[in-house]
Amino acid sequence: MNSDKGNARLLDVLEDRARQVRRDVWRALRAGGSGHAGGSCSAADLLAALYFHRLNVRPDDPDWPDRDRFVLSKGHANAALVSVLVRAGFVPESLLDSFYAFESPFGMHPDIKMAGVEMCTGALGHGLPIGVGMALGSRLRQQSFHTFVLLGDGELHEGSNWEAAMAASHYRLGRLTAIVDCNRIAQSGPVSELMSIEPLAAKWQAFGWSVVEIDGHDMNEIVTALDSVPCEEDRPTAILAHTVKGKGVSFAEDTHVWHSNAVDDETYAKALRELEN
Amino acid sequence: MEPDPVQLEWRQRSLNQTRLAFGQALQCLAGRDDRTVVISADTQDLLGIRSFRAAFPDRFIELGIAEQNAIGVASGLATTGMRPYVCAYAPFITARSMEQVRNDVAYARQRVVIGAAASGITLGVAGGTHHALEDIALMRCLPNMTVVVPADVEEAYFATLATQDIDGPVYMRLGGRVEEPSVSHVDGDFQVGKAVRLRDGNDVAIIACGALVAMAVQASDALRKSGIDARVINMHTIKPLDEDAILEAAADTGRIVTAEEHRLTGGLGGAVAELLSTRLPTRMHMIGMPDEFGIVGPTPEVRARYGLSTEAIVHACESVLGRGDGYDPGAR
Repeated sequence: MNSDKGNARLLDVLEDRARQVRRDVWRALRAGGSGHAGGSCSAADLLAALYFHRLNVRPDDPDWPDRDRFVLSKGHANAALVSVLVRAGFVPESLLDSFYAFESPFGMHPDIKMAGVEMCTGALGHGLPIGVGMALGSRLRQQSFHTFVLLGDGELHEGSNWEAAMAASHYRLGRLTAIVDCNRIAQSGPVSELMSIEPLAAKWQAFGWSVVEIDGHDMNEIVTALDSVPCEEDRPTAILAHTVKGKGVSFAEDTHVWHSNAVDDETYAKALRELEN
Repeated sequence: MEPDPVQLEWRQRSLNQTRLAFGQALQCLAGRDDRTVVISADTQDLLGIRSFRAAFPDRFIELGIAEQNAIGVASGLATTGMRPYVCAYAPFITARSMEQVRNDVAYARQRVVIGAAASGITLGVAGGTHHALEDIALMRCLPNMTVVVPADVEEAYFATLATQDIDGPVYMRLGGRVEEPSVSHVDGDFQVGKAVRLRDGNDVAIIACGALVAMAVQASDALRKSGIDARVINMHTIKPLDEDAILEAAADTGRIVTAEEHRLTGGLGGAVAELLSTRLPTRMHMIGMPDEFGIVGPTPEVRARYGLSTEAIVHACESVLGRGDGYDPGAR
């Protein structure tokens, strides 16, 4: 960053974008009548920083071969992904109102046929192996793009993640970064009660990854972390982002009830009032 | 004419085993197309790909004993324009990583070829955990998937080369450490989805795939001696199914026998029955593994135990013709 002032301005812009993502998420959920507010809003700041600061992508040429790759492994946060794709210009804004609609490309989970979406995800534990393949492909094709995979912390229960984690360090995939949205809550309750994943940083380190821990709602920490990868040239990086499920709307925060829930007009109005402040 | 040394080499190295012919074909593909990349799941000897590794070390990726990851990685590679070939055990790559095959490959329509060795009961001595008797059913129920079951090394080799022109995912079902007699006479001209008639005949038609094709030919030759003309169709592609060949056989003969090294549920026989029951109801007899897990034993003996034999096909043909002695090859 050129100056503190420039940095402050960037952070302001990105925080504004993140607020927009949250408003878009609730807007989509109202259109669909329900949806995953919790995991979409915990990831909003991360997605805003990725799409409006870090990822080298071209909305007018979504299949540009040298683009950075982003895989939303926690595909149930699709509303947040579609928001950044809309705001970045990949897809039209009207899409936000077609959530769950008949024949809409905007369903609960990412659709590879939508411009800007790299893989149809949502079944958990799939994104990281795919990201390993993309990073290997980048190397084989002598390209230099970076691959980012956003995972949920509950998702880490799936063993396939750890197969991929092993492969990524074995092949020294420095241009692969896993971001874990550690909102601590899965569908039925706290991750720690369902199946403990701690010590999480030590697990990634033991699998040969560099680990960065950040506050996933502090834009300065997010930008600093995204700018710093790869931490080591021949090692993949795991960014453990500590977040609050449902962040931004008090009644949806930090509860499994809002993993996925119904959203009527009244609920939407209440949520939006908090997000406009 | 002098034999082509390259041709000679792959044939010799394949040892009459389809799994090895697949590995040999990968080397040919890699020479033609630098996007070819091979993924191993600790299967370097199983598919004979050590020589590939030596020739193309940069395009060989060992991923260890982790089938779910192998399929996900293949999908990710395919998104970058690479053309991955996953070398794996049939029982594990289908059942264990079924969700990855379904979502990451078939649903995402990624061009990934799965070379699935040790299918059927070719690992007879390994027992039921290692028999792959439901893999055709699992793979053929996936939209976008092409399912090929070569009968011998020639077919395995040329079918693998033919995957070069297939745009979507492919499941190539291969054998184990079992020699399969040469029967396909494909001779370089393999067409995906186009069944091959190996024997003419209008009394009954035997539709077979994989190891059962050679048995079907032997059965046809035996039946001819007793005055029965049994057509033999090598249905090397289960999906897309050559419906015309099946409907023609049903119309010409009125009697169909299917034969496969797969459970009777959902395999080749099931595919043929689905077609004929709705389009041209025809008397059928299906030869395959009954609804049970296989016993331990050498492959030829275990095959025979479940009626996967020339004799059983002969009896099945006589039975659908009403000329049998009442012998039921499936009964024990």
